[in-house]
Amino acid sequence: MFRTLSIIIFLATFLGIGICCLIFPCSKECRWGPLAILRRAMRIFTMLFLEQKLSLVGALRKLVYLLALLCFLVLAITSFYPVLVLKEPIHGYWLMLHATFAPVFAICLAVLAVMWAGNCRFNRNDWPWLTRIIERVTLAKRVGDEPSDTAPGLGRKITFWLIVVLALPLILSIISSMFLLFGTYWQELLLDIHRYTALAFAIVAIVYTYLMIRAKMRE
Amino acid sequence: MKKGLIATVILILSALVLPAFAGTDSSGRSPSQPEEKLLGDESDGSRAVPIHLIPMYPENEDGEKGFKIAGDDDILLPFSTRWTCGACHSYATVSKGWHFNAVDANAAPGRPGQPWILVDASTGTQIPLSYRPWPQAFKPEQVGLTPRQFTKLFGRHTPGGGAGELESKNPDEFMREFISGKLEINCLACHNPNPEQDQAGYAIQIARENFRWAAAASCEFASMSGSAIDMPETYDPFMPMPLNDPKKTPPGVSYRKDAFDEDNWVFFDITRKVPNERCYFCHSNMDAGSDSPERWAADEDVHLTAGLKCVDCHRNGVEHNIIRGYEGEEFISANLLAATSSCEGCHTMGRLGAPLLKHAHAGIPPVHFDKLSCTACHSGPWPGEKTIQTKTSRAHSLGIAGINKSPEVLPHILSVVFAKQSNGKIAPHKMFWPAFWGTIKEEKVTPIDLEVVRKTVRNILAKQRLPRSGDWRVFTTEHIAEGLNLLQKKIEGKAVYVSAGKLYQIDNEGELTAAEHDAAKPYMWPIAHDVRPAAQSLGVRRCEDCHATDAPFFFGAVAVDSPIVSERDSSKEMVGFQESDRFYAWAFAFSFVFRPWLKVIALGCCGIIGGVILLYALRALACIVKLLAGRS
Repeated sequence: MFRTLSIIIFLATFLGIGICCLIFPCSKECRWGPLAILRRAMRIFTMLFLEQKLSLVGALRKLVYLLALLCFLVLAITSFYPVLVLKEPIHGYWLMLHATFAPVFAICLAVLAVMWAGNCRFNRNDWPWLTRIIERVTLAKRVGDEPSDTAPGLGRKITFWLIVVLALPLILSIISSMFLLFGTYWQELLLDIHRYTALAFAIVAIVYTYLMIRAKMRE
Repeated sequence: MKKGLIATVILILSALVLPAFAGTDSSGRSPSQPEEKLLGDESDGSRAVPIHLIPMYPENEDGEKGFKIAGDDDILLPFSTRWTCGACHSYATVSKGWHFNAVDANAAPGRPGQPWILVDASTGTQIPLSYRPWPQAFKPEQVGLTPRQFTKLFGRHTPGGGAGELESKNPDEFMREFISGKLEINCLACHNPNPEQDQAGYAIQIARENFRWAAAASCEFASMSGSAIDMPETYDPFMPMPLNDPKKTPPGVSYRKDAFDEDNWVFFDITRKVPNERCYFCHSNMDAGSDSPERWAADEDVHLTAGLKCVDCHRNGVEHNIIRGYEGEEFISANLLAATSSCEGCHTMGRLGAPLLKHAHAGIPPVHFDKLSCTACHSGPWPGEKTIQTKTSRAHSLGIAGINKSPEVLPHILSVVFAKQSNGKIAPHKMFWPAFWGTIKEEKVTPIDLEVVRKTVRNILAKQRLPRSGDWRVFTTEHIAEGLNLLQKKIEGKAVYVSAGKLYQIDNEGELTAAEHDAAKPYMWPIAHDVRPAAQSLGVRRCEDCHATDAPFFFGAVAVDSPIVSERDSSKEMVGFQESDRFYAWAFAFSFVFRPWLKVIALGCCGIIGGVILLYALRALACIVKLLAGRS
């Protein structure tokens, strides 16, 4: 069941991203010729490089993000490829690679959570309709400066917090199984939790990355 | 018109009568009709054991039921279990049971088990034999053993029946067979709880070829004298005549005077629940290493310590289709309890008070249950750096007076070896390295008749004494080459010698070559007992019980046993028997060094992430609280 569900969800996600690209292109002059696509791909690739205007903290943040992206790729491939393509559970060198990159990914997630949480705070510009309702109901007055234009959009904020929240059960489900706490029944349950959380995490991470690329290309 | 009427009547009568005879067996019974059940074949529901005060019947000279045995008979014949026990319990049904059906080509062989091991140190032979079609085991006739010779060699540790009841096709054995009789199923070997039931005595009678007398001689109310093996071929056991040679005593049985009541009926002490000691006679084993504890210092199987008997798990009905208890047996066995009498069967249902698995195995990832059998962690001796030599009842004649108790006595059985079974799971095994002379044709190796080998090869090492320890003689590759050259002149096909996992043969240049070959692979059979308690199972201390770079489970040394001197001190790594990548096993084990760090890092990161979530969740809560309080 997990395999079928994963395939359906992944296909739906990529399909959704593809449709979004078509309906809402990054720029008005979006072209689909091979040269245009190549140029766009090169531009996405150069986004991986450190920008000269970044501060030390900014550079560190970007490096941690790139490392997290790499770890995510490895973890996603090592976990989903055997299950979806080979139709067998993770074992052997797949498992060893997965277990090697997992703690690195966990560290990156923790650093990114600390570094980006501030920027990804929700504010009144994210929910204008909610702000209007609250002002009418509570008669509260608007106080404070307008948020910066460089803050991430609502979509990225939501996906960021989803990633942070999903990271907890994702890590805890597999780490707690390594202690002498849970018997076979709970071990199987924890493994299922890890699987399905990983699926949700992967989808959210893909969407986040897509939104990040869109935002950078618009800049 | 009359003729037509007569013909019609005949036709009608034929139509009525003929179908009754169509499709019937020799007894006139239709094959679809079940065999008639005797008095003792079906239970009336009472758990009490009926009193077996019964008449005894022998087998007569025609192989049929003789006259009732009386205590004052002039010629006392041994009782026959077929005609005595068989009066109430269908002998034919019982003979299809697991302990007796090895010779039945239709019997499902099931999981390969311990074979009979034919040993001849003078020719460097230890070869697995079985009538069951188990892989790597040879049929006794392939080494020149007739059923009678097989019975004489190995019937000592059987409950009779099987090969002991096959009629010989060797004309030289016809007369001996008449004298010895057949080795019938000995019901008392299992079902007699009386402490005077003498299975060691049974083995002695078989060695003396007293097959007909063996069952009676081993029970508590009869005794035996004489040997059939000493009798001339003209001897008639039913009309015994005095012999000229006073040193030769004809086989004869005598019964206790008080065994018979006034009707010449005899009380048989019978139990349904076979005592463990009866099973132990054929199913004991001991570690023969120098550091191995003595019997009294070793713990019994945890199930027995908990109060269970062997037959609480290994059950059967009148058909004696005994449960062997391995995973997957229910797909082969017709026994109703096969599925629920395996490890998983009892420990998932809580049968017989078994602790449940549901909340057990704390901290063990479920993948272990896909890759390992239950016995991998719970059975057999705790694995050491090197395999140890083990003795078993059937291989080493344990329990019989006068056997060689030396730890080095052949055959050399090694344990514990963790190897992959046919179902893909790793399980503990006992094993031994076959050594025998054979012929090879199209990569298939067939053993040579042992008598031919003895006559040809024995002289090569004739000057060497057989060690008192029962160990191998000292073979060298020169001896092997000489033996192969001698055999090549006497046999058809190409002569080879198998030993230590290799196949030795003389190449076209006349040189001795050795190469690994499938026929030389070790013969292995899974260990089920003794089961250790949970607190002594593998992995109970830490994962590194198995996942360490020096853990015996993967990297233990499996000794290579061989009569050839140059091969004797070699060994193979355990991981080679698990069809596993050695480097992966090592790397995975090495990664466990960092496992505590992984736990600390992961928990630390979870703490940080949790802190971030908590911080911003509290800030969001603060915001909501302010709004609801009417503040800006």
